[in-house]
Amino acid sequence: MEEDKAAEEQQRFSYRQRLKAAVHYNVGCLCEEVASDKEIQFSKQTIAAISELTFRQCENFAKDLEMFARHAKRSTINTEDVKLLARRSNSLLKYITEKNEELTQFNSEQRAKKKKKLEEENKKPVEPAEAGAAGRDSSTV
Amino acid sequence: MADTYSPDSEPTTRTLLRRVLDTADTRTPQRRRSTRIGAQKSLLEIPSSRRLSISTKMNVRQRSQRARSIGRLAHVQTSGHLEEQTPRTLLKNILLTAPESSIVMPESVVKPVPTPQVVQSSKQESSRGSLELQLPELEPPTTLALGLLAPGRRKRRLRLSVFQQGIDQGLPLSQGKTLDNTCGQHLFSLNLTFATPLQPQSVQRPGLARRPPTRRAVDVGAFLQDLQDTSLALASPGNSLRTPAATLPTDTVLEDTQPFSQPLVGHSPSVYHSLPYLFHTEAKDAEKAVSHRTQSNGPRLQNHSPGKPAQLLPTKAKKVDALAMSFTNTSSAISGEDEVEPSQDVVSEEAEEMMEESLNMGEVKDTTGTQGSVRTEKSERHAEMTEAFEAKEPEGSSGDKDISASPELASSTTEFLQTRQLQFPKSAPPPSTAILSSEDLEPLPTRLPPRARTLGPRPRQDPYKTGLSHYAKLFSFYARMPMEKKALEMVEKCLDKYFQHLCDDLEVFASHAGRKTVRPEDLELLMHRQGLVNDQVSLHVLVERHLPLEYRQLLIPCAFSGNSVFPAQ
Repeated sequence: MEEDKAAEEQQRFSYRQRLKAAVHYNVGCLCEEVASDKEIQFSKQTIAAISELTFRQCENFAKDLEMFARHAKRSTINTEDVKLLARRSNSLLKYITEKNEELTQFNSEQRAKKKKKLEEENKKPVEPAEAGAAGRDSSTV
Repeated sequence: MADTYSPDSEPTTRTLLRRVLDTADTRTPQRRRSTRIGAQKSLLEIPSSRRLSISTKMNVRQRSQRARSIGRLAHVQTSGHLEEQTPRTLLKNILLTAPESSIVMPESVVKPVPTPQVVQSSKQESSRGSLELQLPELEPPTTLALGLLAPGRRKRRLRLSVFQQGIDQGLPLSQGKTLDNTCGQHLFSLNLTFATPLQPQSVQRPGLARRPPTRRAVDVGAFLQDLQDTSLALASPGNSLRTPAATLPTDTVLEDTQPFSQPLVGHSPSVYHSLPYLFHTEAKDAEKAVSHRTQSNGPRLQNHSPGKPAQLLPTKAKKVDALAMSFTNTSSAISGEDEVEPSQDVVSEEAEEMMEESLNMGEVKDTTGTQGSVRTEKSERHAEMTEAFEAKEPEGSSGDKDISASPELASSTTEFLQTRQLQFPKSAPPPSTAILSSEDLEPLPTRLPPRARTLGPRPRQDPYKTGLSHYAKLFSFYARMPMEKKALEMVEKCLDKYFQHLCDDLEVFASHAGRKTVRPEDLELLMHRQGLVNDQVSLHVLVERHLPLEYRQLLIPCAFSGNSVFPAQ
């Protein structure tokens, strides 16, 4: 039992470390972009600090999101929770809401397309039952 | 007479009165003296011997006092008699028999345990009469000493004295009000005893403040009985006074209990209030632990009452007992023991349970106003542990007002929230919505009219400024340094923004949960976001940490007082 726990701890720790490494890598890439953009150099300590900061902030976000979802008596985190989280900074909130709208639009469009396809498939055999089918068959063939 | 006592260094009212009466005394009793001296002397000898035996126990100082009192008693008994009472003679008796105790030094008077016995051994009339004026000065020791000896005695004497006051003032006995007033005057003139005990009673239950007077009025009826009994007992004042003093109280106690069971209950708390008050500053810590015991002691109030005072002497813990007993007694006396017990049970349970209950009650409160309020009032009354209750309910309900009134009222209500958080004595009114709506809106209306008119932006109006300036002053006070006006203005600005932000958050949280009213959960979420509440530190822990028992004891009465709070002296 204790061995299992220790192993679990080890696993978690290594998992954490891997996550941190991934974050660090991404932060490094972003910093390089910004550096080339603004023509400013980033020292390694800075990048490390930023990545550590990001990691901890992600932890905070996760806890807050979970709390928000629980506060709304839900068990899944929603875009509403994310918006609530981001309400502090206006630009971020704007950005998120825009993205959200885009996504919803996209989703709705996709659904509409799917629905249309289904409807067409349903309608065609109904109205011009034989001719359409024959026409299609001939066209496909 | 002037020979028997040495005048005090301070010209007390007593000495003045004495001088006045001495000069005037020579006229009236001369006739009686000649006739009564022979009869009185026999009476004198026995009490004097009794007193001398008593004096062996006392300090030198009290001995001198006793000697003086003996001399005075002789004079008293030659001059006055039960049937021929006049206010003048009564006053004179007071001055003669009362020990030289100044109002300035109550503690010295506290010591003499036998003083009540001496007072008792003297003529009942003089004792009764002496008790009148003695009440402001001697009451502290009598309450202590007698409380230690036998509660019944003290109760009886109390009632008699009160009755005596009624006689002297020429008022009908049935006037409970005057008795109450006089008692109240006495009580508030004291620097000990009754001041605090009665206050929590009346403060905690404003609606029932009427009750004690009615009880006292009833007691007066028993006073007559007591008077008659004691007048009979006067026939053998000497040796019998001591023993019947021991037996009489029980008799009178029994007599009293027969027709009126309540007055004793009503008086027992007063007895114990006087006792624990002296130690109340030390005794608050063990309140919790004691509440357990008081739970069990609740029903056996009377049986415990004689036992309790004896215990009170030795240790602080016992004082705590008395304190808790007194509290529970008051609660039981006023709200009925049946109601007390379950709520006491709740109280004695863990604080968290209590708070959760109160939280739940708070949740229900919006829907079931009166029921919840009654329950919560009771629970608050008996529980010095309703921290979270206070922490959350006022905020929740004031938050109710916030959202319900208008979102623009955000800052004013956040100030309310902040006041509760920052300033303990300024706690929001009790959670019952009815009371809250009346009380919360009272300070609000000054802000409501300006708010309602200006809708769109949030202009800085006078009410805001006054509220924020208060905080700025607090800030400067805690900074302990002189502050520039500009700096204070900046502080005000920051506070304003902070409060606005706070209320925005609360509003958002509430709407996030699909509600229109802010609730304690929203506030807990806010505190979580603020970092005050996290996995290690829960809200309950914070409440316990920052709302200690002393503050809670201040807060709860203030919250329930309904703006009728009397300062403790």
